[in-house]
Amino acid sequence: MFLQVLLNGLFLGAIYVNIAVGFSLAWGVMDVINVTHGTMIVIGAYVTFFLFKTVGLDPFLSIPASMAVLFCIGYISQKYLLNFVVKIGIFMSLVLTFGLDLVFINSVLFIFTGDYRSVTPAYSGTFFEVGKMTIPYVRLATLVICIVLTGLLQLFMTRTRTGQAIRATSQNRQAAEMIGVNVARIYSITLGISAALAGACGSLISIVQSFTPFEGGFFIMKAFIICVLGGLGNISGAVVGGLLLGIVETMGARALGTGFQEAISAIIMILVLIFLPKGIVGSKYK
Amino acid sequence: MQRKNTKWVMLGCLVVLGFVALPFLIEGYWVRVTTSILMYAIVTAALNIIAGFAGYAAFGNIVFFGIGAYTTAMLMLRVGFPWWGGVIVGGLLAAIYAILLGIPILRLRGHYFAIATLGINRATEQIALDWGSFTGGGKGITLPLPKMEIQQFYAMIYFIMFGLLLLTVLVNFMISRSRLGYALRAIRDNEDAAEASGIFPARCKITAWAISAFLTGLTGGVFAYWFSFIEPATVFDIMIAVKAFVMMMLGGAGTVLGPVLGAFLIELISETVWGKFLTLHMMILGVIMVAVVILIPKGMLDMFRRKFSLAGLWRNLKNQAV
Repeated sequence: MFLQVLLNGLFLGAIYVNIAVGFSLAWGVMDVINVTHGTMIVIGAYVTFFLFKTVGLDPFLSIPASMAVLFCIGYISQKYLLNFVVKIGIFMSLVLTFGLDLVFINSVLFIFTGDYRSVTPAYSGTFFEVGKMTIPYVRLATLVICIVLTGLLQLFMTRTRTGQAIRATSQNRQAAEMIGVNVARIYSITLGISAALAGACGSLISIVQSFTPFEGGFFIMKAFIICVLGGLGNISGAVVGGLLLGIVETMGARALGTGFQEAISAIIMILVLIFLPKGIVGSKYK
Repeated sequence: MQRKNTKWVMLGCLVVLGFVALPFLIEGYWVRVTTSILMYAIVTAALNIIAGFAGYAAFGNIVFFGIGAYTTAMLMLRVGFPWWGGVIVGGLLAAIYAILLGIPILRLRGHYFAIATLGINRATEQIALDWGSFTGGGKGITLPLPKMEIQQFYAMIYFIMFGLLLLTVLVNFMISRSRLGYALRAIRDNEDAAEASGIFPARCKITAWAISAFLTGLTGGVFAYWFSFIEPATVFDIMIAVKAFVMMMLGGAGTVLGPVLGAFLIELISETVWGKFLTLHMMILGVIMVAVVILIPKGMLDMFRRKFSLAGLWRNLKNQAV
């Protein structure tokens, strides 16, 4: 039984990692809290839903499509809006992204209405058993894709020129500018990648649960907690924070029941902020 | 100088007189609309004390609104307090909450403080939701109805809100002229330098947040009495705080009258737009937020002071871009 709970925690944690990785990237590199990240995840889910309903495309195959759509949204938002306010302080980017969030939510609401939607491929209820544990195929696939995406992001950040430029900009904007990095372009690409990860996450979430245009607030709260818990500014922070939160939540729900769950995670976040402000593995992107 | 001051005082008196006369001139619906505008103006001006003067992005400030509302409701229902007793205790409790939380939380800077306040708001809302036996939970809670004519009651709430707004503006004015105000602005510009020059940032910030919380708590209490029904989702609604931020920035953060002007402008737009495009309302608010941040980040007052021009706007934009 314990193993099953741990496994469920791991499955949930994988999704949490996926929610937080992109959010943490934008925050760490540009010092921008992108409040729209939650709604970007929702948009990703709707892209999958749309392709599933109209063309009958398998939800896992629609991940590249939602990543592409979200990359464009992120890139454009950064290039034409956020780049103008990144330098002048935190109020500005927060209020701007809050405003943008309202625009996104209501656009989705306008196109898809507020009904609950879900993506249900034929295999969605199937599972196999190992010993006493039941493992749903969808959850396992989600876990694998989360690992692959996080690994790819790590490779991109360390092995490609653009990734290295992103890390350089994160460490010191002026110095990066001096050695010829086009900071404005790098910022746009960073938010694009961050949004693309949100899109992939949305595609995965659309298979696991039903959703409405208003789900973003829930995801963004989770992203806050995970980033604070794991620490900001590197991929391992999001991974540690996400897995930890997933396992703690599943175990907590089993031990204490589901009431007070959200209050507890918010309180944990505040305590970590006070006593461990850098998180468990926090540092700048290096 | 003396002459100019007299002119402004006269104008101020005229505006106050206008507001006093207003409920006798307009219909019931517009009295309620104006009252809600006044309410937003108070919340915004109270937020200005911590966010405008001290530069701390208290996005969860609405938690004090909820605390004021719930304290008033609980005291009226469970203890039998008169409404004004509940409102005052609500304000005080909100201030105490701000002091107790401020001691650890106000050490955080920048985004971390903003997120911590959001977390506090979320946690408090969840507690109000989950502790159903006491607070009524998600179903909300109904307050005792006032024993008076409904028109009279709405007029009374209008005057209370107006009085609270005058108080809040006065507090803002006094802070802007006091040592505390200068200290807060120094903290906003450079906290380390402020500390080095003999200011105790912690004490100043906590005082500012407590004042802000007290005023917000009072407003929450009056809101609860006014609506006579509250639920966690309305009184802890993060959108109220976000809107207050936009109003503050539109008017001018850290000015005395700017936040009030911003609140009036946005709420008037909001109210006139609401009737016409019900579904697009939130989207228009979002667009306004984006436009305010990009085009007039320093607020209207600043814009009027230095002659508005499109060329100037473009220059500003290019300067602040990465």
